[in-house]
Amino acid sequence: MSSDFMSQAVKDISFLRAVFVITMPDCLLYSSWLRADSQWSEEEVAAYFGDLFRANRKGLKALGSWSSDMQVTIEAPDNLIIMHELTADFVTACVFERSAALGMVRLHMKQLIERIAASLPDFQSEQRPRGVRVVDFLNRYAPDPHAVLLRVSLRTRLPLELLEKPETLTPEQVAQVEDAAREILGLQELSL
Amino acid sequence: MSDLKNLSRAVPGHDLKLLGSAPYVYHCHHFNLFHDQTVEDALGPEEAFEVRCRAARRASRHLLADAVRMAGAATPIERLQLAASIFRWMGQGDLELLAGADGGAARGNHLHYGFAWREKYGAKVRRKVPIDAFAAGYASAATEVAFDLEPGSLCGRETSCFACREPGCEFSITTGGEGDTTAPVDAAGVERRVGTPGAGIGEERIAAITQGLNDFLLGVGPDERGLVQGFGIYVTRHLSGYYDQTAYDTIHFIEQHAPQATAAVEGLFGESGHVCVFYTFGNLLLSPEWEGLVGPVRGEVEEVVTSCTAIARALGFGHWTISELVPGERLVLRTASNYEFPFYLERYGRSAKPRCYFFANAARAFMQLAHRVDWPAKPALTEDLYQNLFKQGLSWHTEETCCCARGDDHCEVVVTRRS
Repeated sequence: MSSDFMSQAVKDISFLRAVFVITMPDCLLYSSWLRADSQWSEEEVAAYFGDLFRANRKGLKALGSWSSDMQVTIEAPDNLIIMHELTADFVTACVFERSAALGMVRLHMKQLIERIAASLPDFQSEQRPRGVRVVDFLNRYAPDPHAVLLRVSLRTRLPLELLEKPETLTPEQVAQVEDAAREILGLQELSL
Repeated sequence: MSDLKNLSRAVPGHDLKLLGSAPYVYHCHHFNLFHDQTVEDALGPEEAFEVRCRAARRASRHLLADAVRMAGAATPIERLQLAASIFRWMGQGDLELLAGADGGAARGNHLHYGFAWREKYGAKVRRKVPIDAFAAGYASAATEVAFDLEPGSLCGRETSCFACREPGCEFSITTGGEGDTTAPVDAAGVERRVGTPGAGIGEERIAAITQGLNDFLLGVGPDERGLVQGFGIYVTRHLSGYYDQTAYDTIHFIEQHAPQATAAVEGLFGESGHVCVFYTFGNLLLSPEWEGLVGPVRGEVEEVVTSCTAIARALGFGHWTISELVPGERLVLRTASNYEFPFYLERYGRSAKPRCYFFANAARAFMQLAHRVDWPAKPALTEDLYQNLFKQGLSWHTEETCCCARGDDHCEVVVTRRS
């Protein structure tokens, strides 16, 4: 999805600060548009909001009230963020100015979703290796992320060079890394 | 408190500090948590707690025996009260010692490790295992000394921990310890091992700042919680024998049982040196106290490196000197005294390789701070800035080229820019 397309898609939509199109379930940035005064790290936003959307999906499924056309609205002090599932493989997160009226924002969202969804490729998602996803998860959530691979190396006794290429890990090594990740984060289970 | 100040003295000319005859240094909670976390990563939580508790008991017993003798504390209650006062003076928190000769309990409030861990990591990570091994070991040692028990006859275990989101910290002190006949590394051991103090670049400035900081640190005391909080950090006066024993026992274990992970364990202990310099040195440089004592930091490389060297001396890290400094290219630090190699030589004998992990990595962090921080802008030294400075790989390579632990007559670390 080109930047020209994104610029066209957001045309005439007022109060909009940014649009992120995120692939699921990997939470990678597929495409984005940022207003000139927005300085966010697009990959970081995609990763965290992708995770949030996935958790929301799971939570709603646990309640038995999930529907593919549901929206998540976050009213932050200075931004209004709306997330919407475009297809099974893509979600979008749109950031509006906080001063925008919610009714107007919902109207704009409807337009945006139609424009973006119509241009998404016929996408067959290919799941990344589990080791890669575990390492990505740690990089996002572990304290002191710059040192986390060293910590995993020490806990698993796997060489750092190997952990730096997580796609090459064997299933047994992935299980070791996953155990270390759970211990480092104090979690029963990693929500990958 | 005046008695406790009298307990503190220096090894003349070496910028090392002693509590009684037990070596001590100043370290912040960022360093302390990272250091202990590395022991846990290497050994697993249970064995790590044992190692840390044992090291704490051994180092603390040594200190407390001296303190009791110097204070003339004759009865168990006097001795336990003295031990609790020293614990607070060290900035370790409030520890109620409730055990008798047959064991019993201890209770902690605002313990340095648990309290600081929860503040730093509690919102991100759910901790499942207790963290206050130092307090557990200290409580055992204090009870042993109070009741004239044999070293290592008591064991401390934390049964409830604030870091695990429990209301407070509780300890059980039980008999049946395996005993401990290992001699402590004391002032005599340190003095036997240190070399001849040298001088280097900026000596006059460094010496003057060190003196001012030493005077300032004398007045630093705990707050009502038993914590020492200042410059955005929690500071401890901590027994260097605790750091040394836990680090070297851990590294030796990995070298023997999992040599492929040696680089990781050494890297992580080195990382705690970066953490220390960034938070403690950095926040001190940006503090109003520094401005009052030295003036605002302009940000010149030589100014920052000499300032950091003075801070290292004042914190009891040794008589570090600057042998070479080429801004943008190279730093060579030397010392014939630090808190690492004397312990190593006394406890383990000569090493086949350099062993001053803190010294080597603190030097690298000096260069990182001197070249990457915009000092005149007075940035907040936040975790985000730390990640930014240290996440993408360091622009400096560090190597300890000479080490007393290896038989050299001084330690030398060479920091060069990565190509």
